[in-house]
Amino acid sequence: MITLPLTTQTPLVDAISHLLGLDGSFGLILSAFIAAFLIGNIMLISAGIAGPWAKRKITAVFTDRIAVNRLGPLGLLIIVADAVRLLAKELIVPEGVDRPSWDIAPLILPFSALLGFAVIPMGGPLQLADPETGLVFVFAVASIASVGVVIGGYSSNNKFSMLGGLRAVAMNIAYEIPLIVTAASVVLFAGSLRLSEIVSAQAAPLIVIAGVTIPSWFAFVNPFAFVLFLIANLAEIGRNPFDIPEAPTELVAGYVTEYSSVYFVLFFLGEFLHVFLGGAIIATLFLGGPAAPISSLSFIPGFIWFLLKIWSVFLFTQWMRAAIPRVRIDQMIEIGWKGLLALSFINLILTAILVGVIA
Amino acid sequence: MSSTPASSQKNIVGISKNGTLDYTKLEKLLGPLVLQKEDHVNAPAFVIRPDSVEEALTLLRDEAGFDHLSCVTAQEYEDRFESIYHLRKYDSPQHELGIVVPSPKNNPWNQSACSVFRTADWHEREAYDLVGINYEGHPDLRRILLPDTWQGHPLSLDYDQNKPQLITLQEHENPLRDTDEENTMFINIGPHHPATHGVLHLKTVLDGEHVVSVDPDIGYLHRCEEQMAQGLNYRYQIMPYPDRWDYASAGLLNEWAYARAAEDLVNIEVPEYAEIIRTMGAELCRICAHFLAVGTFALDIYGDFTAIFMYAMRDREIVQSILEDLTGQRMMFNYFRLGGVVWDLPEPRDEFLSKIQKFLDKIPAGIQEYSELMTTNEIFQLRCVGTGILPPDVARQYGVTGPVARGSGIDYDLRRDDPYGYYENLDWNVVTNDGCDIYSRFLVRLGEVEQSAKIIGQCISLLESWPEEDRIIQANVPRTIKPPADAEIYRAVEAAKGELGIYIRSDGTQQPARFKIRSPCFSNLSTLSEMATGGLVPDLIAALGSLDIVLGEVDR
Repeated sequence: MITLPLTTQTPLVDAISHLLGLDGSFGLILSAFIAAFLIGNIMLISAGIAGPWAKRKITAVFTDRIAVNRLGPLGLLIIVADAVRLLAKELIVPEGVDRPSWDIAPLILPFSALLGFAVIPMGGPLQLADPETGLVFVFAVASIASVGVVIGGYSSNNKFSMLGGLRAVAMNIAYEIPLIVTAASVVLFAGSLRLSEIVSAQAAPLIVIAGVTIPSWFAFVNPFAFVLFLIANLAEIGRNPFDIPEAPTELVAGYVTEYSSVYFVLFFLGEFLHVFLGGAIIATLFLGGPAAPISSLSFIPGFIWFLLKIWSVFLFTQWMRAAIPRVRIDQMIEIGWKGLLALSFINLILTAILVGVIA
Repeated sequence: MSSTPASSQKNIVGISKNGTLDYTKLEKLLGPLVLQKEDHVNAPAFVIRPDSVEEALTLLRDEAGFDHLSCVTAQEYEDRFESIYHLRKYDSPQHELGIVVPSPKNNPWNQSACSVFRTADWHEREAYDLVGINYEGHPDLRRILLPDTWQGHPLSLDYDQNKPQLITLQEHENPLRDTDEENTMFINIGPHHPATHGVLHLKTVLDGEHVVSVDPDIGYLHRCEEQMAQGLNYRYQIMPYPDRWDYASAGLLNEWAYARAAEDLVNIEVPEYAEIIRTMGAELCRICAHFLAVGTFALDIYGDFTAIFMYAMRDREIVQSILEDLTGQRMMFNYFRLGGVVWDLPEPRDEFLSKIQKFLDKIPAGIQEYSELMTTNEIFQLRCVGTGILPPDVARQYGVTGPVARGSGIDYDLRRDDPYGYYENLDWNVVTNDGCDIYSRFLVRLGEVEQSAKIIGQCISLLESWPEEDRIIQANVPRTIKPPADAEIYRAVEAAKGELGIYIRSDGTQQPARFKIRSPCFSNLSTLSEMATGGLVPDLIAALGSLDIVLGEVDR
């Protein structure tokens, strides 16, 4: 038997077992469940607020409207109303759907996104697991989502769904490679795949301008990679200008066309979780994770900073959605393969040279 | 099929020295084909035999420069059927000619004009569908507005309206048929699809993402507008209906189409003051309609209810409230009357006029905003430049008019070329663009908004200074209108989407014996397969959006 020299730290699980005095393997498993429950719920709440409420409010600001304002303060209770509405709807199972896979597909999307959050450092002990290969893990599980999309598109027995599924595959293949290659350039700087170490590598001060210390976040160190990653991430989560798999005006709703009620909610939830997972990855790789932007603000807990950062990435995607046209499928593939891929490799090579020179 | 535009030829037959049409020369050109000459109110017409349609139309197109088949009207008389081909020239639309083709009662047929004008394809299908004339040599003579299983032809004289129609299940069946070729997929885009701008059904065959063929299936919104008008009187009852053709806020433009035809039919002079109000209202409608076109087109390209859509709606809302002040309605205006308009500007006049002026002042900034958000956006250009190409000669063949034609570089605008209303006396330009693509159609619409604003501005200053005692909004029109029996007229106006023509034949009663609507969207939509075949699905959607169709007008 080969033992891999990998060590996985589990900060949150350790903290919980310590706090509740749970020990032994049973205690460890129990505290792991509690920890997972905690992290999962934090993200679900985030997506739950973002889905029905924040998205409407943000888009409304961009488009000169008011949006929800009837239920509760600022229309916040729309979240409850929407939950009731969506869950109370009839689940319509169209004729001829490929049954087990049609049911599995909606589960895969939120599952893969939630799994990704397991290794994201959210400040303090709020990190479920911190394996040495954290970055690889997060990309691996995030890309499971496309499997769900393809299954959903293919099993729906609907031509629009199938086209949507096919588009999703084409897009994910085209954009995941630049995404990962760009992330690799960050790894070169940090010298580790472990996410907590990537975060701590960004803590050192970069420059001091007028008494304000700018930390060496990789967004500042290598803005080029940051921009590349932001663009590739838009494609990864399927938002404008790359909302091609759904493309409401072309494919009705793409792979979600035939899904209703709870299954639709799961797809919807999965998408929002993916937007946030993308935000979390960006925050971790480029924006110093849970660190405060300037040291004088570090009295605010890291978790708050982390949430702020992923919400600003969410805001960015909503901004894109409100202002940028959708590219055509062939143009998108071209941008991915001919543009982003080449640029991301150039970025990787230049970074490698730079890191080599500094070392 | 030769489709050389006649304008490129030097010797156009049938034009007298002062530039007007010389019908005797035209008659000579057609020679023995002409059986008889008829006088319609708009222009003379030649009666020809049903088997000489192709020959006559080819001669007229190639030798006499009639390159625009505006409309095909079919109707049934007590003793015969009749098809009328209304011909015009793109270069000089005032040169009109009708070709009347009578056909026997027991076997109504005539030669199809499809090989001469491709636009005849859809028009003859409609004539076959509603009246029941068979067009020999038509490549695809099936029903266009009614379901395939419909029994009888509703506008024929012996049609029994009370007989129930049996629509078989076959008709409702989802036609998920496989195509004959391998590796292609048949897909129904619509009738319920976010991008079809209403209930339009595109039978599309795809090869991967590429469009192999697309066949628009229309008629879902057919409301028998023509037949309804035939049961209503000229004076009061028809006017509310035009609002329902192009209901996307172009109501006054449609009303003007009917008003112009009916007024010319019975020689009603509209007072100058009313003409100015009409012109102003119509241009407000045009702005309204173009804003909607811009907004929904953005929806097709951007894919969501994005900023640009909402901005267009916001600006359109201002025009809507102005029109509401003027007409009392937001959508179904019913503001025109034969011989004028129903009431004067709302009081206080100054407030109303300054409200319009305030809106006009905002337009340049608004156009600037659209340009920044859309026309200068690189992704937008990537999608629109060089896609959905419609070359001018193809556009002429399909009888394309309006912003779609002007986006293909065809300088054709009835407001200038066949003047009506107060347009002659105002200073404005026809916007054209030679791009022939989706982008140029979009630019033409934005440009037309500016020109309309210019027209409205001049109307306002005229209305402001108009002496109070001369504010005549309505000519003296008899309570009942009975045009002379067998008077026929075809008159068109420049509606938001192009040439909106009305053909009326009177039988001496208060109601028209035949009321035919020539819808610009109908002809424009027929070019879709020409634009979209070979492109990608997103291009198909963008091309459809750039046509700016309103199904209420396509189906009538």
